[in-house]
Amino acid sequence: MMMLIPEAWQHHRTMSRTKKDFYSYHACLMEPWDGPAAIPFTDGVSVGAVLDRNGLRPSRYTVTRDGRVIMASETGVLPVDPANVAVKGRLEPGRMFLVDLEQGRIIHDDEVKEAIAARRPYGRWLKENQLHLADLPPGEPAPAPSGDDLRLDQQHFGYTAEDLKLILGPMAQKGVEPTGSMGDDIPLAILSKRPRLLYDYFRQLFAQVTNPPLDAIREKLVTSLSSTIGRERNLFAETPLHCRQLSLAQPILTPADLAAIRASEHDSLKSANLSTCWPQIDGGPGLTRALEALCRYAVRQVEAGARLLILSDRDIPDGHAPMPALMATAAVHHGLISAGMRAGCGLIVETGEAREIHHFCCLLGYGAGAVAPWLALATIDRLADEGRIGGTEPQTARTRYIDAVNKGILKVLSKMGISTLQSYRGAQIFECVGLDSSVTDRWFPGTVSRIGGADMQTITKEIDARWTMIESGTAAVDISLTPGGRYKWRRDGEAHQYNPATIPLLQQAVRQDDATAWRKYRKAVHELNREEGLIRGRFEFKPADTPVSLDEVEPWTEIVKRFKTGAMSYGSISREAHETQAIAMNRIGGKSNSGEGGEDADRFTPDPNGDWRNSAIKQIASGRFGVTIAYLSNAVELQIKMAQGAKPGEGGQLPGEKVYPWIAATRHSTPYVGLISPPPHHDIYSIEDLAQLIYDLKCANPKARVNVKLVSEVGVGTVAAGVAKAGADVILISGEVGGTGASGLTSIRYGGLPWELGLSEAQQTLIQNGLRDRVVLECDGQLKTAHDVAVACLLGAQEFGFGTISLVALGCVMMRVCHLNTCPVGIATQDSELRKKFTGRPAHLIRLMRFIAEDLRAIMARLGFRTLDQMSGRVDRLDINPALDHWKARGLDLSPILHLPVPPEHILRLCIPKGLMNDTQTPPDADLIQKAMPALENGLPVNIDLTVTNVRRTLGTRLSHEIARRYGEKGLPDDTIVISAAGSAGQSFFAFGAPGITVRIKGDANDYFGKGLSGAVLAIRPPDGVAFAAEENIIIGNVALYGATAGRAFICGRSGERFCVRNSGATAVVEGVGDHGCEYMTGGRVVVLGPTGRNFAAGMSGGVAYVLDDADGYFRQFGCNQESVGLEPVAGDDEAELFSLIEAHWAFTGSTRARRILEAREFMQEQFVKVIPREYKQALARLAEEEG
Amino acid sequence: MGKPTGFMEHDRQLPDRRPVEERIGDFKEIYRAFPEAALRDQAARCMDCGVPTCHAGCPLGNRIPDWNDEVYQGCWEAAYKQLMATNNFPEFTGRLCPAPCEEACVLAINAPAVTIEQIEKTIIERAFAQGWVRPQPTSRRTGKTVAVVGSGPAGLACAQQLNTAGHTVVVFERDARPGGILRYGIPDFKLEKQIVDRRLELMEKEGIMFKTGIQAGVDLSGETLCANFDALVVCCGATRPRDLPIPGCELDGVHYAMNFLTGQNRVVSGEATTVSVNAAGKHVIVIGGGDTGSDCIGTSHRQGAASVVNFELLPMPAEDRPESQPWPYWPMRLRTSSSHEEGGSRNWNILTKRFIGETGRVRAIETVQVQWAEEAGQPVRFEEIPGSEKTWPVDLVLLAMGFAGPEPGTLVAQLDLALDARGNLSTGNDYMTSRTGVFAAGDARRGQSLIVWAISEGREAARAVDIFLMGRTDLPEKGCCDLSRV
Repeated sequence: MMMLIPEAWQHHRTMSRTKKDFYSYHACLMEPWDGPAAIPFTDGVSVGAVLDRNGLRPSRYTVTRDGRVIMASETGVLPVDPANVAVKGRLEPGRMFLVDLEQGRIIHDDEVKEAIAARRPYGRWLKENQLHLADLPPGEPAPAPSGDDLRLDQQHFGYTAEDLKLILGPMAQKGVEPTGSMGDDIPLAILSKRPRLLYDYFRQLFAQVTNPPLDAIREKLVTSLSSTIGRERNLFAETPLHCRQLSLAQPILTPADLAAIRASEHDSLKSANLSTCWPQIDGGPGLTRALEALCRYAVRQVEAGARLLILSDRDIPDGHAPMPALMATAAVHHGLISAGMRAGCGLIVETGEAREIHHFCCLLGYGAGAVAPWLALATIDRLADEGRIGGTEPQTARTRYIDAVNKGILKVLSKMGISTLQSYRGAQIFECVGLDSSVTDRWFPGTVSRIGGADMQTITKEIDARWTMIESGTAAVDISLTPGGRYKWRRDGEAHQYNPATIPLLQQAVRQDDATAWRKYRKAVHELNREEGLIRGRFEFKPADTPVSLDEVEPWTEIVKRFKTGAMSYGSISREAHETQAIAMNRIGGKSNSGEGGEDADRFTPDPNGDWRNSAIKQIASGRFGVTIAYLSNAVELQIKMAQGAKPGEGGQLPGEKVYPWIAATRHSTPYVGLISPPPHHDIYSIEDLAQLIYDLKCANPKARVNVKLVSEVGVGTVAAGVAKAGADVILISGEVGGTGASGLTSIRYGGLPWELGLSEAQQTLIQNGLRDRVVLECDGQLKTAHDVAVACLLGAQEFGFGTISLVALGCVMMRVCHLNTCPVGIATQDSELRKKFTGRPAHLIRLMRFIAEDLRAIMARLGFRTLDQMSGRVDRLDINPALDHWKARGLDLSPILHLPVPPEHILRLCIPKGLMNDTQTPPDADLIQKAMPALENGLPVNIDLTVTNVRRTLGTRLSHEIARRYGEKGLPDDTIVISAAGSAGQSFFAFGAPGITVRIKGDANDYFGKGLSGAVLAIRPPDGVAFAAEENIIIGNVALYGATAGRAFICGRSGERFCVRNSGATAVVEGVGDHGCEYMTGGRVVVLGPTGRNFAAGMSGGVAYVLDDADGYFRQFGCNQESVGLEPVAGDDEAELFSLIEAHWAFTGSTRARRILEAREFMQEQFVKVIPREYKQALARLAEEEG
Repeated sequence: MGKPTGFMEHDRQLPDRRPVEERIGDFKEIYRAFPEAALRDQAARCMDCGVPTCHAGCPLGNRIPDWNDEVYQGCWEAAYKQLMATNNFPEFTGRLCPAPCEEACVLAINAPAVTIEQIEKTIIERAFAQGWVRPQPTSRRTGKTVAVVGSGPAGLACAQQLNTAGHTVVVFERDARPGGILRYGIPDFKLEKQIVDRRLELMEKEGIMFKTGIQAGVDLSGETLCANFDALVVCCGATRPRDLPIPGCELDGVHYAMNFLTGQNRVVSGEATTVSVNAAGKHVIVIGGGDTGSDCIGTSHRQGAASVVNFELLPMPAEDRPESQPWPYWPMRLRTSSSHEEGGSRNWNILTKRFIGETGRVRAIETVQVQWAEEAGQPVRFEEIPGSEKTWPVDLVLLAMGFAGPEPGTLVAQLDLALDARGNLSTGNDYMTSRTGVFAAGDARRGQSLIVWAISEGREAARAVDIFLMGRTDLPEKGCCDLSRV
């Protein structure tokens, strides 16, 4: 078990050397299991359980005085007399819990592991056998190309001016991946008329619902890029030779590193060079033969004793071209696997191709152990020499570039929820778009490619296109690089959907109500889509034999009720732009979306002129900014954003400079302090968790539909089926092309898939599983014309989202500077001068919606549909346009998208969403609401007694809704409703609890205690008469007070992991927390009167925590992640605040811990540490200055 | 990546013009020098847009954001290279182009545009000053020969591109020296002729041959040209002036603008000693409110006209872009040139009815005010306003009402080249005329247009010729998305 599911040992600062050696040694044997898991095991004598390294599964146990051990994912599953309880605990991240039945005792994690780790001299073995790069004698690196040769190499490998200016330069200057904004609107590689690198056909997969993505920055301690390469040996034996491998701290090699490896005479580093160049003859068959020969040669080299194979395109003989490095790598990797020799050697790829983070990820994902990007590094040297990297020296520039690549790789793997490179290596976490099965089956077995595409012949043509252009070598060819045009439009670059033809025409159409301009716009979009654009452009419609007359088709005013604008937060865009969308959509009965930044309460009620600035859809994203009970209660639809098209598997970021005071107020945060949304929802690590959140939201607003936003990728159908079963009313399938206010370029380009694939998959899976009538399907992702909407509708969508285009209608000119706060048309900016330049009007947006809806009506009439309901899902009306084939796209086979699993009558049934709640059930909190009626109706104080069990989930949320509905954000005065409860509380206890409620509970509670707390007061303590010490035992589960915005909580006992994640305003006192306490916190006060786990305050940017450190100073030294916070002694006003909170804690819970601390105040005060985010401290000073 | 906040920090600024009194005393450049730091600030105003509409608005496809950024960074040589990638003659366009790019500039949506043209001019002048502009002789010769007829901007661009591709190029010019409208049509105060000579010298060093004083179709027959060259490109311009056939038009003192301008240019260059048409001491009326009209006004001032009056049939446009001609398209708006600034009056909505002569010389013009009416679905028309007749005393009338296609007869007739409905040479998308191997580019094909269009046509036609001769081409293509005109 220790080998299979090791702890996160690499960055562990307090782990013993012995244990580290054990893990380090076993890393040579196999890669770790690092996903969420709580695994119980037994050998008949002992029984135990181990939790994943990041603690992503709940596991609680109770040990009774009479010798029983009860372990389950929740507390309260079996009745136990409180007096009989000896210990209440939880499994901790990476820790093992073992009961030895022979010895009759529970063996502590440390004891078990230290014993096992000491069984063999792993440390000595490692020292004697493992090889490190730094210890190798230097070799003679091949000279880097220079001058015109470098330029020629760059052209050969398809470098563009943009690669240098926007990718390599910034990476080498700043050491991080560059940020971009807005979506990706260039054609898929297979639909582009220009040659692309093979990497472009691969899309990164990402975690969505079934497991959480990770935060590789804030939770760096669980990640690792280290790996070993070389021969692997028998898994069932342990010998010193097992670790005779090359250990690498990270996977990017410089020419010097590679030269040292090549020069090494060590027999475990015996390397063989495999040229990946082939004579450019015979096209596809020629390349196939060359790859076969390469694989045979690789096998022979391993047989001959090579331990490292170096695939190299470094020296290209005349008349030769390099194979795509990715193809060569995957071919050799799989060739060795089928020869049974993969474990016999490590793979290193020396290539001129790789330069973007995605390229490295692809190579590693298909088996490379390390990559030496010789041309990228030579290019950076040149840039540095030319002074183009801000005066950075070449050596520093390289280091920063490698650093940026490493961070990027880590981010890509964490999007999938993978925390170590070793697990990612060879894992093939990609889906192909546009490669023929003859290519994927042969060279990329196991990779999904659903719609066919380029075959070997086409791939060689793409290589030829780069080659011949250069080889012909007339002086006419400018030796500067082509502009590229992938990121910013250029005439001779990649085609963009939003270009100088389409943007102005659209704006002219909606501003002047100009139907001619609209027709021109529509034509321009359609032609581009057909020729060189999107999958949808390749579909045409089959007209009905008997079309219906246009006036029989439902009017545009009905159709637009199914239209929605994009989810853009107030903060990412200006108030003007945000409210204009809301007003427009409310006027026509469509829906605007708040995005994830919360919404001012003054927008909840209509304005005197009849306009309503309230967003019908309120989003719930991982950051939970401004997600209060009032916010939830004022929605027509609640959208859980599981992923975003432009950056699936990642959380949003709002840079501090954009957090103006008015934005901070809406988000319940501090002005000028940057805001981070965690990659996962910390209350959704599984589909069951999602079901829980859906239920929470239905309690928080029983009238609102719950919408779950997913992003297209292979498997989204299964996820959608799960989401349907979890009780969602609407499932949104987003395409990969969606916009963003800020995101890494890798994510914008390579994450996610087109909605055509995801939507059809979801539709087909839902039909096959009889779930289609349970949910409404919605689609978005660069919908721009009625053609797009009609295709989506025929593929199954019933509602439609328009993000980017809505902004363009309001004046957006696709500057792609949203992240810089310099939007010159006043949309994606908070700058007060720039905001004045906003000229969008609700009428513009309404006209856009009307133009699309009217066009849609014409299509409907032609196809014989009177309503969209009749039309939805009728894939039989879609046809593939046979006339369209350019040289690359010829091999596409779109028929899988048009597959129809059951007869059409079935899917024509109108969708009637059935949530978890309906009239036949007793509504949640019915008893509470009834008893609280005097308070709700007349504001009179009430006292309620209650017994709770863990079966009753989300207790108190519906009651809170009743308060918010009547009294809005302010709620009731404190202590109006006082509830005394006893028992084991279920999940989401008083989630989004409203002001006016005070709950005192004796017992314990599960996960999500006080989630989203909006003003209520919660106090929890063990039952009377227990024998254990409260402060030493677990009383509440994981992720308590997640996203809390106001209120107070007093916890007499310890909590699980991630206490107060993203707290932005609540005050809490607790007697010990697990790992990642106060992560991403932006406001509020937290007092911890006991131990913390690791990584406390990671990503914390606001609020203050007071932590009682132990005598050894564990917290100061190890417990706190000090990247964004500073530690200070507690004195003055702080001290008064701290002790008044402890006094309150004592008053509410009778905590003995609190009492003892209060008794020894003088002495204890020194042991407290004040945790304050540095940025927050500066912001407070700035605010004080602004006010003073 | 430019300076993200540059446009918020700096206002648009252009170099000063010399004072009117000073500059009308000579025919030299009217602009004063502009400090480098100030120019870099101007370049910093470029927002490096995601969709740079300027780049689409430029008929050459100039990589405007790219060289703006290089200038901002101080990388002048890199800027120069970017500039030359799409434009053979930035020293001409940087002075003469009306800058549709600036109308299309994203910043111009709600603020003054980036001074793109000024930056362009500065880059190329700096490149000349630094010695970066050197002849680029081609590394190989294809053995194919091409004759280019006409040495205006289209012919020169086409010749240079074809030469780069390795073909042997001969340029035929009927005038004494090459340059066409650049040399003979444009006054020196807009383009000093050493600028033209400087470029021609380079082109000759690159191996391009210029045969001047030879009029194709007269001195050399079309058939002879076709027989002696593998391809022929007709870039003879649209030199047929639009006429004003009203009573009195035959009178002395009524001249075509181009005769007037050419005469002065010949004197400035020393090719002639006196002008045949002189405005000195005369009351001048220029009919036509376009660029040629403006050049006539500037030249008249410099010759010492007693007064200068300008007529335009169309109404006076607004200073601002009309709503019906939205960004980023080229709008009809009031443009005030340096010549307008120098004096004279501009009159709009004015129709010339007849010239009144005295002893065979023009002495007065009779005009009437008109009113323009727009009816839905109908072409706009004007009506005369009764009672608004007026008589203007005049000594010299200059007709600057535009041009109507290539001159008839000679080459076009000899080779029996087809014309389109507007009287321009008709070609396919491959720039080939009705006769195989004979191509056309520039105003001769497109009709009267801008210098950037002429250069663009020359470049694109060169690609077509290269493909015709070699079956393929490596010459750069400008790519898609020319902005349509509304």
